[in-house]
Amino acid sequence: MTAWGRAADPVLICGEVRTGLLQHSESLPARAVADLLRLRPDERVRISERPNGYAVSPEVLTGVDCRLPAAGGARTRVVGTVAARAVVTEGRMLQATASIVVAGPGPDVRHPWSHYLARPGVVEPLGKLPERAVADGLLAGRARPGELDLGAVAERLLARVARHRALDQRAPFKSRRTRLRWVALRALDGEGPSLDSFTLAEDGLRTVELRLPARVSPAAAAALCEDLALHDWLLTTLVRMVERSRLGSADAPEAVLSLRPAVDHLLHLWMPTAHVDRTLAPLWDVLEREPGFTRQWQTLVQRIRDQLALQAITLRRDALTAH
Amino acid sequence: MTDAAVYRETTAQPRTQSVPLAHVSLELGHLYMEDFEGGADRLAEHFARVRPWADAVHAMAAVEARRPRVSTCFLIDDYFTRFSTPAELVPMVLAQAEKAGLTIDYLARESACAVADGTAVAEAVESRLVDSPAPGSDGSRPPARETGWLANGERAPGLETALEAMAHVAPWQPPRETGARRHSVFLDVELWDEKDGRRTWSCPFLAAVWQLARLGLLRHLGEPVLSPRSWPEAPFPRDWDDLPPVIQLNPAAAPFAAYRTWSALPTRFLPIEHAVRVLLDQIEADPQAMRQAADRAAGEGLPLPDEIPERISYVFYPGT
Repeated sequence: MTAWGRAADPVLICGEVRTGLLQHSESLPARAVADLLRLRPDERVRISERPNGYAVSPEVLTGVDCRLPAAGGARTRVVGTVAARAVVTEGRMLQATASIVVAGPGPDVRHPWSHYLARPGVVEPLGKLPERAVADGLLAGRARPGELDLGAVAERLLARVARHRALDQRAPFKSRRTRLRWVALRALDGEGPSLDSFTLAEDGLRTVELRLPARVSPAAAAALCEDLALHDWLLTTLVRMVERSRLGSADAPEAVLSLRPAVDHLLHLWMPTAHVDRTLAPLWDVLEREPGFTRQWQTLVQRIRDQLALQAITLRRDALTAH
Repeated sequence: MTDAAVYRETTAQPRTQSVPLAHVSLELGHLYMEDFEGGADRLAEHFARVRPWADAVHAMAAVEARRPRVSTCFLIDDYFTRFSTPAELVPMVLAQAEKAGLTIDYLARESACAVADGTAVAEAVESRLVDSPAPGSDGSRPPARETGWLANGERAPGLETALEAMAHVAPWQPPRETGARRHSVFLDVELWDEKDGRRTWSCPFLAAVWQLARLGLLRHLGEPVLSPRSWPEAPFPRDWDDLPPVIQLNPAAAPFAAYRTWSALPTRFLPIEHAVRVLLDQIEADPQAMRQAADRAAGEGLPLPDEIPERISYVFYPGT
């Protein structure tokens, strides 16, 4: 049995990740995070402390019986469950992922529901499945009514966690959520994983296309995409904060002060592949070469630190001249 | 990858403990107050009727496995009504079973299906209900859940829908069973009710928990729940609360949990068990526990259906 193989003959995995700041005035301690992510009373929250604080909720399922969006208008009905999980990084970032494994062609009739519950996170097509068209359909645009809406499942889970009473709803700064939609087709036999595209679309949507060998578990694929989404969010948010601060303009002290939340809450979060399966970690290198995620991040961080240093010197000089 | 990870965190990789499994768990009866009120004669009659079916189950198990492991169990209701005491009742039940040539390996209390050793078992199972989606469910809206109820299909539209449609006289719309064979047998199961802030689980819901326990599929934070404790002989306590959730009476018994269950029940339980199947059809059991049972059965070369309702069978004998 393969890792994709909670399904009989899986042909693709896809999902959608919502990423945002935890709406709380300070970073949430590990115990509170565990409480926040306890979506089920009988299952543990998985918690890591190294190399950074990282917690994953149990998976919760949503039943679906609908069409998959497909380029070219093919209509494929699928039945099964969407698996959703929430992840908190460093008690500061909240992500919710909804994902499915799509099994190969199946019989034309729906099974008893317990059949699908024995394959959590798998949907089975009724009849044929045009994989390429479905992959394109999933990546393109928004779902029409009656077509699988993974984003809505992720959004509901995010909202459920975000309402938790442990959160004071006072985020230290304003930021926007991002959405990352990903599709992974099976890699050809003998070939390793690959990242075929990473696209920044408008209104906060990112799309990622992957090829993954059958041995990669859906959870590992989700963790990779959560990692991509997290770092993309950090970069996007820091770029916006620096822009808004008008760093380097006349009113330098104001600008530097406005960046304080970034220093307090964001700069230490950059840690690509901290919780990514090692066989998938090399996919990051592709993004490091082009466009160079870490290069851009470091440049921004350096710029903020230079400005802080300059400010410190100015303040010191002003203090001396005041004597 | 051949190189194992050097650094590990146990909190990051929780384990699910496995439980020993017999081939068949055979339930020899389910005792309610009204049965008890019938006295020892009524119990004797029950066991005499069950005996041939118990033999048949043993014979069937022997067809599948060369050395079949069959364990027997008996459930006493101490949840809906409290009657008698373990000290009085358990020896009587055992004596009547023995008269009919039956051995009761394990004895369980119904209230343990709600809360066992401080673990809210029923509540945890309720959190594992995943509603069967009606055709057209695309994930965009949460499942239409009636708090405390679970159906095997789509309910008939209620008054609100009719008002929304601005219809003066709303024509009756039937409910529909999902997966019906042409005609529906729609069933709506009450999971619990509440009175003065106290929740009482319904009989079918506890019976569904009981089936999951007997199938070895219940876990709490990775640990088995409703594990039997050895209590081979009298004296039994004077209070039900002092009796463990499940006791093992026969030291030589096959494991309590099994790949499949058989229950011998009077016909009046048929509606309850229909409801149990509707519930079990929509419960996502612990995936690791499911995997463990599947691997073990495969290792023994035994077929085990993926679907939980397919693992449970009944004998309904005449009677009320």
